[in-house]
Amino acid sequence: MSMTVFQAMNGATFAALLFIVASGFTLIFGLMRIVNLAHGALYLMGGYFGLVVAHRTDSFTLALAAAALAVAAIGFGTYTLLLRFVGGNVLRQVLLTLGLALVLDDLALVIWGGDAFTVPIPEALRGPVQVGSLVYPKYRLFLLLFSVAVFIGLALLLRHTRLGALIRAGVDDAEMVDAMGIDIQRVFVYTFMLGAALAGIGGVLGGAFLTLYPTADSDILVFSLAVVIIGGRGSLAGTAIGSLFVGMLATFGQVWFPELAYFVIFGPMALLLAFRPLGLFGRTA
Amino acid sequence: MLEITNLHAAYGDAQVLRGVSMRVDKGRIVALLGRNGMGKTTLIRSVMGMTPPHVRQGSVTFQGQELRGLRPHEIAQRHIGLVPQGRRLFASLTVTEHLTMLGRAARHRSQWSVARLFELFPRLGERRQHRGHQLSGGERQMLAVARALTQNPELLLMDEPSEGLAPVMVQHLERTVLELRQLGYAILLVEQNLYSALAVADEAYILETGSIVHHAPVDALRHDRPTMHRFLGV
Repeated sequence: MSMTVFQAMNGATFAALLFIVASGFTLIFGLMRIVNLAHGALYLMGGYFGLVVAHRTDSFTLALAAAALAVAAIGFGTYTLLLRFVGGNVLRQVLLTLGLALVLDDLALVIWGGDAFTVPIPEALRGPVQVGSLVYPKYRLFLLLFSVAVFIGLALLLRHTRLGALIRAGVDDAEMVDAMGIDIQRVFVYTFMLGAALAGIGGVLGGAFLTLYPTADSDILVFSLAVVIIGGRGSLAGTAIGSLFVGMLATFGQVWFPELAYFVIFGPMALLLAFRPLGLFGRTA
Repeated sequence: MLEITNLHAAYGDAQVLRGVSMRVDKGRIVALLGRNGMGKTTLIRSVMGMTPPHVRQGSVTFQGQELRGLRPHEIAQRHIGLVPQGRRLFASLTVTEHLTMLGRAARHRSQWSVARLFELFPRLGERRQHRGHQLSGGERQMLAVARALTQNPELLLMDEPSEGLAPVMVQHLERTVLELRQLGYAILLVEQNLYSALAVADEAYILETGSIVHHAPVDALRHDRPTMHRFLGV
């Protein structure tokens, strides 16, 4: 029994990480219709940046902030120098972001080598904590709380700020936002930077318990894709539920059917899409 | 005010507008009539700088300034409001959010505060927390007009505003359009509903396979049965 609870907690905390990464992915996908295949690479870069800053400053908070800023800057460059010029052409966007992912991956390999690293976490988050009869790592609980804070922060941004209203309107009909006198490209840039920053933050948080290694980005990318497809693009609630779905299936799948771990996620996903092609919370444009 | 000269526009290889010239002056309602697929919406999209279509030749000036080559938001910022075909409201935004999308500074400059828009359209005031997709057809059209007014436009481009509306709502819309003209607005009204267009417009252009084939004051057109029959099928 306690083993099942323990696995459920692992599923929930993995879902928390997926939510942070995939919420950035879904913002970009939902608003700009860009399937950013470099999102996993942004996660990895964030992790490595965080690793460097954490080692230099001994501050996990600074590592998170630096990773968010640095990866947002990469996002800014990616959008303004590359993606802006292939707007509307899905194949070019996919190839461009895939190419960028390969470049960033190789860059990481050159700089940090092929070894696995773990981002050091502060003393206060190390060790276990006892909740009733369950003994559980403090850091993973922190991750759960952090993801709830990210959810609330994003929900407030989307519901109660003008930028949020513009992002929601842009998800519905970007061309019409532009025809109202609002520079939609600026909204796109801010959103791309925000989405990238979330990937960067995810990289630091994930790098502290999943370790960082050169192909870690493709794993997280595949899971993020599944989350967004299940939840429906551009939906925060959908991303939260999709994350929980994928996080739980990935964790329990690995324990119960290790040889079918991927099928356990993608089998139900295919079934769901057969009945709801736009995902749980997806809407037609 | 708005002057379109020899405008050619195409979707890929398909030429849709072939040398369209027309003008809309301040305080005038100009109807653009024509059957389905003649290029009316293409003309509106070309004026707004929306792509596709691609404008190949010609010019569009507003108050003497060339609009060609500008992006849609730059054109809208020159005080041109769009009420698009099919309304194109934002499904996830409330009525109030639709009317407060522009920045505070732009809203401050506009003569259309949210309160004044709710005076013009009291029904919207009652539905201020409803989302776009929760409104009736008539309310949606009111919101599409109100949203365009938030831009403090001097020219309104209205694409098939009476489409899908009950007769009583069409009459309400016609009254609104006439009120706006009294306030000095220039309105380019694209309509398939000929009778609605004739009820409000001062002059009309008829578009046939991408070219203007007729231009006349509405009073004259109303009595010109052969032209109406030939180009509009009535």
